[in-house]
Amino acid sequence: MLRRIGVIVWVAALAAPSLAVAAGKVKSPPAAAPALSPANYPVERYTLENGLTVLLHEDHTVPVVCFWQWYKVGSRNERQGITGLSHFFEHMMFNGSKNVPPKEYDRQLESRGAYSNAFTTRDMTAYYEEGGKESFETMLKLDSDRMRELSLLPDMLKSEVEVVREERRFRVDNSVPGLLDEALYSTAFAASPYHWPVVGWMKDLERITRDEMVDYFRTYYAPNNCVLLLVGDFEPANAKSKLAQYFASIPRQTPPAAPVDSEPDQIGEKRVDVRYPSETVSIDVGYKAPSVASDDIWTLDILSNILSGGESSRLHQALVYEQQIALSAGSSFRAGLEPGLFELYAEMKPGHTAEEGEKSLYAEIQRLVSDGPSERELQKARNQAEAGFITALKTNNGAGQTLGYYEHIFGDYKRMFTAIDRYRAVTAADCRRVAQQVFDAKHRTAAILVPLEVGKEAQP
Amino acid sequence: MSGAPKRLALAALVACTALGASAATAAAAAARGGLAAATRTQLANGLSVIVVPTSRLPLVDFRLVARAGAVNDPAGREGVARLTADLLTQGAGKRGAKQLAEDIEFVGGSLSASAAAEQMVVSCEVLKKDLPLGLELFRDIIVSPTFADAEFARKKEEALGEIASDKSEPSVIAENAITRWFWGDSPLGHPPIGWEASLKAMTRDDVVRFHHGFLTPERSVLVVVGDVDPAALVASLKTAFAGWKPAGPPPTGDPYGPAAALHGRMVRIVNKPEATQTQIRMMCPSVPRNHPDWYAMQVANTICGAGFTSRLVNSIRVEQGLTYSISSRFQQQRAAGAFRISTFTRNDQLRKCVDATLAEVKKLVDEGPTAEELDKARNYLKGQFPLGLQAPDELAGEIANVEFFGLPQDFIATYPARVDAVSMADVKRVLKSYFCTEDLKILVVTNGELAHKALDGLGAMETKEIE
Repeated sequence: MLRRIGVIVWVAALAAPSLAVAAGKVKSPPAAAPALSPANYPVERYTLENGLTVLLHEDHTVPVVCFWQWYKVGSRNERQGITGLSHFFEHMMFNGSKNVPPKEYDRQLESRGAYSNAFTTRDMTAYYEEGGKESFETMLKLDSDRMRELSLLPDMLKSEVEVVREERRFRVDNSVPGLLDEALYSTAFAASPYHWPVVGWMKDLERITRDEMVDYFRTYYAPNNCVLLLVGDFEPANAKSKLAQYFASIPRQTPPAAPVDSEPDQIGEKRVDVRYPSETVSIDVGYKAPSVASDDIWTLDILSNILSGGESSRLHQALVYEQQIALSAGSSFRAGLEPGLFELYAEMKPGHTAEEGEKSLYAEIQRLVSDGPSERELQKARNQAEAGFITALKTNNGAGQTLGYYEHIFGDYKRMFTAIDRYRAVTAADCRRVAQQVFDAKHRTAAILVPLEVGKEAQP
Repeated sequence: MSGAPKRLALAALVACTALGASAATAAAAAARGGLAAATRTQLANGLSVIVVPTSRLPLVDFRLVARAGAVNDPAGREGVARLTADLLTQGAGKRGAKQLAEDIEFVGGSLSASAAAEQMVVSCEVLKKDLPLGLELFRDIIVSPTFADAEFARKKEEALGEIASDKSEPSVIAENAITRWFWGDSPLGHPPIGWEASLKAMTRDDVVRFHHGFLTPERSVLVVVGDVDPAALVASLKTAFAGWKPAGPPPTGDPYGPAAALHGRMVRIVNKPEATQTQIRMMCPSVPRNHPDWYAMQVANTICGAGFTSRLVNSIRVEQGLTYSISSRFQQQRAAGAFRISTFTRNDQLRKCVDATLAEVKKLVDEGPTAEELDKARNYLKGQFPLGLQAPDELAGEIANVEFFGLPQDFIATYPARVDAVSMADVKRVLKSYFCTEDLKILVVTNGELAHKALDGLGAMETKEIE
């Protein structure tokens, strides 16, 4: 969920990061020094007394800076009745703080040539501003003020919640991918905080109170629950002194309790139909997959790449190219803080059914479980991962996003550098073992868009 | 996670806009990463080549932009430019579709081709170490695509499937419907993907003919940005493209002109009975991209509906909570243009949203902006401009557009100064000339019955089904 349409794309499809890089586990990399290393991509990391973590990366190519603030809060930190609160906060952070009345945030930024946006996921809420280097201090002034004391004015809450409800209608209620995604997660998870949608249930959006928001702010918007990243054209000594000036005096808070994930083992396939007018059938399938705490996530990234990394990948080749039954087909996996889903999806060509699509998707999965990948497929996945890290760094924004993701999800941005070694270490045997574990029909949930012809009964 | 776009339709939502820096900063940008260091040359076959070395990352980006878009589709063959582009990567030179994909993806590179209203864009990105392979594939798909019968049949079916699929996406329905209604019989009046009927009539020969006639060196500009030695690269390009033959003299005009003037408000409702949210588009004629008022129009539009503090966002979203997104912009081609407003709102607020939007624009046109708004808009545009010069592929796109639209060669370097030169008088004048509230087309996609009642009295009204 974004504050406004546009502009944020997750960079680097295959760029998940590295846990416990036990050097002994890493097999010798095939030739060539890594294109990305701490030597050619220096980052300075330090922590202020109040627990606020700061990451700096200088790049003087273009006279601009990008300033990110990553708060360790997402919809997983919510509970029934206040779903959507994290994302609602993302909107309210622009609507007034102690010394910055409503509308002033954007007015001051734009007057100095800067742009802002933000996004919320199940695991995190991240904000950024981007503009000419001379707008840097304005960013710090505005962002420290809203971290210190957010106003949450009743009038602004009232009108902004309408904006969020409209965002929900746009992204979910009137959108096939949005409807399917919501159905998939709420069906697959019964007692995990990934059960509810990031944007929240419509009725919760109507009932969230200001008191609940004030509590939430104190708990999660504390400096010790945040990472700041500055990327671009700045002078480090000056930047550090300004960061301290604006942020060091914001008081630390008691760290939040970890969210409760009571998800039981899944003991049979779950299915859900979404009936909506459409000329094509869409399928979204999720297998229960581990969180970042598992070493298997590197293998899952590689598996996802083999299944859907470009037109030469298995799912495109099978469903789109050879069988010609689907308009698109692919997979997605991105390790999160809680156990999540390894997803497969397909949009069928008109006239082709969900049964055909599922059959083909599962046949490809079965082939991977039985035979594993070829050595060339493995090497291709590794090469794509490595190139993905380079292309993610093309802009300050992308660099900030990549560093922020690793720092937030793995607790250490340096995992970004060792991730490539982790990918290189994945073997065909690893792939077969993890595929067998994860791609178990008992752990599967299938959400199917069943086309509804307006004014008629549902059709298959 | 609410992560990467799952389908191409969604990817279209994330197109970055990048405009805007202080005079000193953009000049510095130009000197560091931009045109100051560009090597320009023209090959014997008429192809313009621009090479810009940047060594920040070990990447090379190729971008070819050709005057070979949907406006060049022959009547009855709407969609052929786009189908041609789709097929370039499905077999070329000695490689079939599978091998092409395998070879570029094995090295973690990308190779793509697409066609929009008046541009065909072919691009390739590879790590520096893979430059020879990247150039070979890039050259092959432009000069020697195979257009195998089986691939033609498959891509045609996929295009037909995409047309069917788009009918469940309200924003796509709205874009296609306003395009067709506004431009009418103009070559700009069909979506690049074409119509169901024109696609069904398409043959492989149509594609071969289009490729031969329009994807040609004299209609193209090639920009390379990345970690390269310009002299060596130009030599390689000369060799690679030596066999690419021109189809004729460079084109002199465009196959379309400006949209006809409108008189009064016209309303079209596209019926989508189950929608709980109404997509709204408004549109009126404007001037081409290469018009001297362009800078003043950009400043005025930033004040009207581009920035987050713009009048429309402030009033319709921030103050009234009627929408999640509203924006105004100029759609500008080589030989035509339009001013347009896009938004959506919940069904029961439709009339209020339309009225408030038009009233806000009218107020701005009548009274003009404040001095503070003007200053803010100029700073915003200047501050955002260098952001689009960071990534090699984006910089290549900016440079290619300078050529494509025939802009001054110093466009990037002088952008900040030209934005600064826009006066209050300029802004007031362009507001009156180009920001319409009375003579325009208004299109909504929603429950037809509800909309018919809500919009009563707004203008001449008609209801259509989704096409």
